[in-house]
Amino acid sequence: MPIKRRQVLSGSAAGAVSLATGLAAPAIAANEPIKIGYLPALTGPSSSTGVGMNRGTQLAVEEINNAGGINGRKLELISRDTQSDPTKAVNAVAELTQRQKVALIWGPVNSGEALAATPLIARDKVPMLHPCWVDELIDVKKYPMAFRIAPTNTQIGGGANHYAVDVLKLKKVAVVSDTTGYGTASVNTYVPMLKAKGAEVVYTNHIDAANPDLKPELLRMQNAGAQVIMPWSVNAGFLSRICNTRGAMGWDVPIVGQTTLGSGQTKALLEKPEYWNKVYSNNFRQVCYANGKLPPRAAEYVERLKKAKVEFGDTLLWWVALGWDSMALLTETFKTAGTKPEDIVAYWNKLKNWPGIYGTISWTPEQHNGFPDDEVVMCEVNSLKDGAFNIAPGYSS
Amino acid sequence: MLQSIVSYGLAVGAVYALIGITYNVMFSASRVFSFTAGMLGMLGGVLGAIFINKWGINAALALLLVLACGALLGIVTEVLTVRPVLKSVEQHLYVLSTLAFALMIQQVVAIEFGTEAYPFPVLIPIDPASIWGAIDQKFWLPVLACAVTIAGLEFLYRKTLIGRAFLAIAEDSYAARALGLPETRLRMASYALAGVIGALAGFTGAQMLLAFFGNQSILNFYGFVPVALGGMGSNRGAVIGGLALGLFQQAANFLVGGIFAAVAVFAVFIVVLLLRPEGLAGAATARRV
Repeated sequence: MPIKRRQVLSGSAAGAVSLATGLAAPAIAANEPIKIGYLPALTGPSSSTGVGMNRGTQLAVEEINNAGGINGRKLELISRDTQSDPTKAVNAVAELTQRQKVALIWGPVNSGEALAATPLIARDKVPMLHPCWVDELIDVKKYPMAFRIAPTNTQIGGGANHYAVDVLKLKKVAVVSDTTGYGTASVNTYVPMLKAKGAEVVYTNHIDAANPDLKPELLRMQNAGAQVIMPWSVNAGFLSRICNTRGAMGWDVPIVGQTTLGSGQTKALLEKPEYWNKVYSNNFRQVCYANGKLPPRAAEYVERLKKAKVEFGDTLLWWVALGWDSMALLTETFKTAGTKPEDIVAYWNKLKNWPGIYGTISWTPEQHNGFPDDEVVMCEVNSLKDGAFNIAPGYSS
Repeated sequence: MLQSIVSYGLAVGAVYALIGITYNVMFSASRVFSFTAGMLGMLGGVLGAIFINKWGINAALALLLVLACGALLGIVTEVLTVRPVLKSVEQHLYVLSTLAFALMIQQVVAIEFGTEAYPFPVLIPIDPASIWGAIDQKFWLPVLACAVTIAGLEFLYRKTLIGRAFLAIAEDSYAARALGLPETRLRMASYALAGVIGALAGFTGAQMLLAFFGNQSILNFYGFVPVALGGMGSNRGAVIGGLALGLFQQAANFLVGGIFAAVAVFAVFIVVLLLRPEGLAGAATARRV
């Protein structure tokens, strides 16, 4: 086919335009905002965590931008509510990585959505920072650009096991769960860990969470000689029934387990407030009161937020702090390493003892789980004040 | 242990029995198994908790409101999901239409009121230290509701004209219509009545089962067991089947525990159906030849 004169002209015109934009690009980039893809779950069944983290995230971005941004560039959060739905998260990833061309992605903040979204973010070669606990979400071979700014499920279970066996010195343990995937997987992972610590698991079972009467289960635990109950479930109804049954039986054993044990929903279902005594749930050393005081970093942070009239009455300090920490870490990363994906990853691979409010984070090229074991602690669930709990008794400070 | 088996077993059994009766009342009027029975039970608890806890309505008034909502939903069920598919009952399209409607309502409840379980208030406070402390309201209230319902239904079906009209429709709807009975209106009334019974089951059982959107599937399922055990359409059979199921389930909880309790319940259920396919109280239907 002969080439017409018009085609040649239009082709060279396009070339000239692309050349011009290519040349102009650095000048524009120097002022244009840094785009951060953000996948919180702000609505839907698993959104209370997301709403809390969102508060910290938004506050941090506001503060950074008000202070002039990063080397003259503002942070721009491109937020897509996943609605606690993995499908929505997957669609949002495609938009953020391919259309919006974000520098990195913060989230998803729930494991269900993260399990669906992580492979896609890895495929599009965009750095990813997330706070989800499921162990499989971090794999330096499969997802070399994904980093975790929170503990893993194994660390969460390990923290609870350590408290029951090493701190409370109770060797006879009853481990139970509901029949969900999370519950059964937790029991199957944590029971061998307990045995490896030298504890005797005297009772273990998966219980139908809809069962209104848990007395038979607790009687069996009691008969087996259990000294501590470790329930793994996110079902407030199930957990409150364990507390209520223990109280009604007058059985004075501690209950040690997951954060939902200390949630407002669990509290609302207690038959008596005192049934929440001697119940210890997972929490984090940097955001717990020890002898009535928060650790210095968190104390300073809370003071600052109080001055900004931010309330903690309806959320938890660790959720807000986690959102805040992520943005603070990103800011430091952009300032030091720039916004290129490989530079961000290289910087994070060498991060050591980064002092977050929620936790002290360290990563290496081989290990993208950044949360230290000794900062996963248990707290007294009935001690909630200004969004934080007292560290459980027995820990050395 | 025995006390716990009897008190919890009878209470849960009474709730199952009431849901079973809800199935039956709808089935008698339309030959349709409407899977909205569990939804009515779930709503009885959730709405009750909202009316009393959130809106601060007096408990008696709240009960009336809940029953009215149940009746209304019963009528809506009949109009929206049963009437359009009645012409082709043998194709069992009602399974889809009633189940879809129930799931829709359940999702609305989840979105509007959340997916967490909520506490149901104690309606008649009893000092736990007194001698009455052992008989908690959560145990006797469902049993009382069940007794009142079955007595009321017996009275309705046997002593009143409208009750006989219900029976006539259940027996042979063509013949009943030929005699001049307003079949459609009677069917709507039956569904409203079923709505009231289902909501009553949920309301009275909610302190034990909590006000929780997820109770729908459990009630749908365990409420169906007494119907199958007791014979379709037999209310007395449903009561006996429901109470037996509750007691057996609770005994299984004590004896085997965990998820095996559910397995034990279904094992017995299947064995009973193998031995008596028409149900414990149902009579085998004679086939015309």
